Amino acid sequence: MSIFIDRSDRVLVQGITGNEGSFWTRHMMELGTAVTVGVTPGKEGQSVEGVPVYHTIRRAVAERPADAAMLFVPPRFTRDAVFEALDSGLKKIVTIADGIPLQDSVQIRKAALSCGARVVGGNTSGVISPGLAMMGMFPYWIERVYRPGRIGVMTRSGSLTNEVTAMVVRAGFGVSTLVGVGGDPVPGTRFAEMLPDFQDDPGTDAIVVIGELGGTMEEEVAEAMLSGAFTKPVVAFLGGRTAPAGRRMGHAGAIVTGGKGSVADKIAAFEKAGALVADRPRLVGELLVRALGPRS
Amino acid sequence: MKLFEYQAKAAFAERGIAVPERRLCDTADEAAAAAAELGCPCVVKSQVLAGGRGKAGLVRVVASVEEARAYAAELLTGTLGAAHGVRKLLVEAAVDFARELYLSITVDPEAATALVLACADGGVEIEELARMSPERIIRERVDIDVGLLPFQARNIAYALDLEPGQATGFAALLTGLWKTFRDEDAELVEINPLFVTESGTLVAGDGKLVVDDNAAFRQGGAVPSREYFDSDVAFEAALEGIPYLQFDGDISLMCAGAGLTTVVYDLVNYEGGTVANYLEFGGPNYRKAVRAMELCLMNSPKVILIVTFGTIARADVMAEGIAEAIAKLRPRCPIVACIRGTGEEKAVETLKAAGLQPLFDTEEAVGRAVALAAAPSRGTEPGGDSGGRP
Repeated sequence: MSIFIDRSDRVLVQGITGNEGSFWTRHMMELGTAVTVGVTPGKEGQSVEGVPVYHTIRRAVAERPADAAMLFVPPRFTRDAVFEALDSGLKKIVTIADGIPLQDSVQIRKAALSCGARVVGGNTSGVISPGLAMMGMFPYWIERVYRPGRIGVMTRSGSLTNEVTAMVVRAGFGVSTLVGVGGDPVPGTRFAEMLPDFQDDPGTDAIVVIGELGGTMEEEVAEAMLSGAFTKPVVAFLGGRTAPAGRRMGHAGAIVTGGKGSVADKIAAFEKAGALVADRPRLVGELLVRALGPRS
Repeated sequence: MKLFEYQAKAAFAERGIAVPERRLCDTADEAAAAAAELGCPCVVKSQVLAGGRGKAGLVRVVASVEEARAYAAELLTGTLGAAHGVRKLLVEAAVDFARELYLSITVDPEAATALVLACADGGVEIEELARMSPERIIRERVDIDVGLLPFQARNIAYALDLEPGQATGFAALLTGLWKTFRDEDAELVEINPLFVTESGTLVAGDGKLVVDDNAAFRQGGAVPSREYFDSDVAFEAALEGIPYLQFDGDISLMCAGAGLTTVVYDLVNYEGGTVANYLEFGGPNYRKAVRAMELCLMNSPKVILIVTFGTIARADVMAEGIAEAIAKLRPRCPIVACIRGTGEEKAVETLKAAGLQPLFDTEEAVGRAVALAAAPSRGTEPGGDSGGRP
């Protein structure tokens, strides 16, 4: 099972003729994703990996209906691309762009919320259900990371995801669906908004949350656990425990502001809600074993 | 990027916000002339980006032109100023105030709105307010497309216990602050303290403006200059587009990926090591290993610790860059390398050929680096040789 994306979703790729767009279109299709149509303004009539290209999303979906949009678009054009996808009624959108202007990202999330769409990203690798389908850029061929299984993963960081998910696999588990919500201060989709899907997914036994300093997304997961809205085991790993106050560590979203977002606060919230918190990547696997019992 | 107070106040004044009469000064003579012109007492304020200027002794009310000159000299040419990198001073007319308020605009990531924060207890840092008395913070969400509406300004003004006459002035000031937030693509605009004078007018006592680097392309995109950075290396890294933070420890981090680099920073601290610098050469910079190592070496680290787990930032390409950097720069400090991800098999071969012994586990690599940093210096042995040896 998977959440968000499976092989029945028809995926439109915006920016399909670019280097990244064409490279990852090939890999999305190799994994089994149904990429059915592409868009690059000015390039209608071309094709990439056998996928026809149109000037606009409106022209593309008129010929070939799509369920989801994968955006390989630079950050300064991302707002335009997201609104274009929303305008054509697409409800699942993934944007990898790293460097979307903050106030654009507020407008993007507001628009998505107001029309019931889900925008995942920016500043993310995307969403993958290993062995099934993906929207994004994951090295699914690295078996010690992207092994199919029954652990859901939510993350704010691409590089850390490889590191931590390798520990999930090393402990004998695999991944049902991995959702990268991204490292920006205003992600289109927040951790807690993915929880109902993981809760309902019979293919997910527990989730791993890879968070870091800044914002309140981790606290919102803890609240969902406390309220009983999410009842599966949660293992959390948090980066930036020793980060100096007031400095931005890496991701734009990784900064303590307005007295909110310290890792200490997040750990306290998780522990109060009954989540298991790992202070090192290696411990993530051990804590999953503690929560679910050992695997072969 | 955070701007200096004098820049924030110029942006505020442009949009109709009252700020004290002020002069920007580069020398003690200029400061003395400004004090004479504005009248004493007046306030001499160091233009530095760090917070807590008052506590650090970088702001002072001066009673005379002579005191202004002496204090300005201490800040611009003395040890106190040098320790904090003071380059410019703002000399301001003193304001007689009856009350001090707090006012800022930022974003609410969950609601997807802008967010006005206000508090009757101005002059205190918002972090302190949030911790000590969160119930006293007034929050008003503003639709980023509709913009600030008059009722919202009234909501805040009366929650702050302003008089009806003051509330009108407050609405005008908040409108100016909203324009600053939107026009400048700000991440944060803040006035703290916001003075309510004896006569009931509102004056921005301080000004903070943090602009969004990601929006620089539509904001005229000024090239960063040295004064915005706390070290020469940080400035050079910024020009190169390499994410970098300056610390003063032993181990230079040369890693890829914001999340992973942050965790390596944590792990070094856990193991009792100290970090010389945080540096990411992943993402768009994964072909810049030579430049990245050059920046690390400017800190004379005891160890360079390389940890990556890249997808698009290919391991084999980064390994080739590291081999080239070792050949070119001949670092004398040991290098610990843990490079994984796309093309990692080839990366291992490249690193071995460069005299390194590649590791595969982040925590093991951190442990090795901390142990090497703690060991007595081995003198002249070139770096590549001592790197990964057990």
